[in-house]
Amino acid sequence: MSNVNYVTFTIVVVLFLVVTLTGFAAARWRRAEDMLHLNEWGLGGRGFGTFVAWFLLGGDLYTAYTFIAVPAAMFGAGAVQGWFAVSYTIIVFPIALIFLPRLWSIARAHHYVTPADFIRGRYGSRGLSLAIAFTGILALMPYIALQLVGIQAVLTVMGVGTSSANSLIKDLPLFIAFLVLAIFTYVSGLRAPALIAFIKDTLVYLMIIVAVFYIPARIGGWGHIFGAAQAHLATISPVTHKPTGVFIPTTGNSQLAFSTLALGSALALMVYPHAVTGVLSTKRRDIIKRNMALLPIYSVMLGFIALLGYMALADKPTAASVKKAGNAQLAVPYLFQHLFPSWFTGIAFSAIIIGALVPAAIMAIAAANLFTRNIFKEFFKPDASPRLQTRVSQWVSLIVKVGALLFAVTLPKTFSINLQLLGGIWILQTFPSVVAGLFTRWFDRWALLAGWLAGMIFGTVAAYRVSSPTASHWAGSVDTLFGHTVYIGLSAIILNLAVSVILTLVLKAAKVPGGADETLPHEYKADPPDVPAAPAPASLGVVRTPGDFPAD
Amino acid sequence: MAKPIVTSRNSRSPIAAHPIASAAIAVLVIAAIFFALYVPLYASATPKAGDFPFFYFYLLAYMPVLAIVLWIVIMLQRRLQTGQEAGARRPSGRAR
Repeated sequence: MSNVNYVTFTIVVVLFLVVTLTGFAAARWRRAEDMLHLNEWGLGGRGFGTFVAWFLLGGDLYTAYTFIAVPAAMFGAGAVQGWFAVSYTIIVFPIALIFLPRLWSIARAHHYVTPADFIRGRYGSRGLSLAIAFTGILALMPYIALQLVGIQAVLTVMGVGTSSANSLIKDLPLFIAFLVLAIFTYVSGLRAPALIAFIKDTLVYLMIIVAVFYIPARIGGWGHIFGAAQAHLATISPVTHKPTGVFIPTTGNSQLAFSTLALGSALALMVYPHAVTGVLSTKRRDIIKRNMALLPIYSVMLGFIALLGYMALADKPTAASVKKAGNAQLAVPYLFQHLFPSWFTGIAFSAIIIGALVPAAIMAIAAANLFTRNIFKEFFKPDASPRLQTRVSQWVSLIVKVGALLFAVTLPKTFSINLQLLGGIWILQTFPSVVAGLFTRWFDRWALLAGWLAGMIFGTVAAYRVSSPTASHWAGSVDTLFGHTVYIGLSAIILNLAVSVILTLVLKAAKVPGGADETLPHEYKADPPDVPAAPAPASLGVVRTPGDFPAD
Repeated sequence: MAKPIVTSRNSRSPIAAHPIASAAIAVLVIAAIFFALYVPLYASATPKAGDFPFFYFYLLAYMPVLAIVLWIVIMLQRRLQTGQEAGARRPSGRAR
């Protein structure tokens, strides 16, 4: 730790301590009578209003990895790989506005905690529900690991722990950060990330607003930034003998890659279990809708965060440091270190580290809920009490995090990144079951299962086969299909849908029974006080309390 | 006496009751998706906004517009809903 800047280091440590205390104090925030219930631990009492939900969802969806990876992609490859994220975070909201309120209502009416709970109730199919839960856990693990990769990027630039050859000492700061995260999630459940999200967002907004005004003034204006980026991306790479990247996608294939990446990612985002967890923690149906109109404010910020990648290209010392380290993920940390006084660098680094803790906690909770509800309770202990379910979830959240930690520490970084890329393709395969299920019972459960399997296999194989001059496999998430460059997740979901439709027609013709559906049409539009937050004590079933219709 | 009041069952479909509002919702949502997804519309360096190439400026300026459009959609949906509640209540309550 010879080259550590102690001002930066102290600020990061102090802010981390503040967050730790907040995490533990969160257990007392909006305290419920019985915390040992998944509605409380796993969904924060289902009582968050518009304001809290905005911070929680923002903290949940715009992860620290985004702050590191999107600018890194802009730095390395330009618009198609990086700037598409801005288009993606635009179209996700109108799409989500169509189906999320229905998901919220049906989950409230039947006390569903996970998307797989809904599948179980809607299709009466344990197999399909297991497939959804399994996909969710599989996709979340590498996502959590990547949050750690984000923390690692910051720690590397800070010079913390990198000088030692011993991997245990090298990763000690990461272990400590994660241990703290694991314990406060265990204790406070979803309340912890919800409360910490306020600190995270304050820091992130501070960091980005200052950066957007200060950096261009310091390094020669926006014209210079865009000019330098354009010049760099147009240079011919010695490895591929093609331009390094794309500044503005003008060819048909680069445009198609851009829009299919945006569309596929947008469809995937809101069926990720951690997004669903955030959505189900809100108090009223209206709150979800309102947030779909309010969250685009975050996307403006994401746009400027992406442009930090171009700023890193335009600032020569930063670009040189990043190239020397051979890791584009260090672009943003180096940019701040080179251009800001140490104290502000400390704030920016804290923002990224805390920005990793919030989504990591929510993801671990979501994965734990999936395991408890759809694997443990469904297949091993159907009579599990709410108390036992919560205990199991708490422990699983710990195990999930330890697993993610091992992932991040032992496997090469590129491996986690590839797995996250696959995670997006995988989670997209649950979209037809979940979203179609919110609108129609036309699809057959076995057909959806077959479609899911086809999409999973096709997506995995296609992603494996993508090669580039620098990597023989897993080189990217777009593939050329019949002469068109398309996001693999999107081609997989089209196959998935085709299989589901054809098999549904076949199974309907063969008069295969469809399975019981416990939901009713009007429940997809239900709003409290029709449907209380907590189920009647004795059961987790379909107990409905009659109540007056809301006045407004 | 207070039996659970059901929203949409037994009442006129809200889409049929408010054809213009429903059509407006559909148009706004589809447009919000289309104008971000169809890249050829904005994949050009000019006209520049300040020093920002059009391609970059367009998507940044899109966000506040999107927020407003989605807010309008939500307001229209609320109109659909209140109309529907009035419809569901009419037999018993003689509400407006």
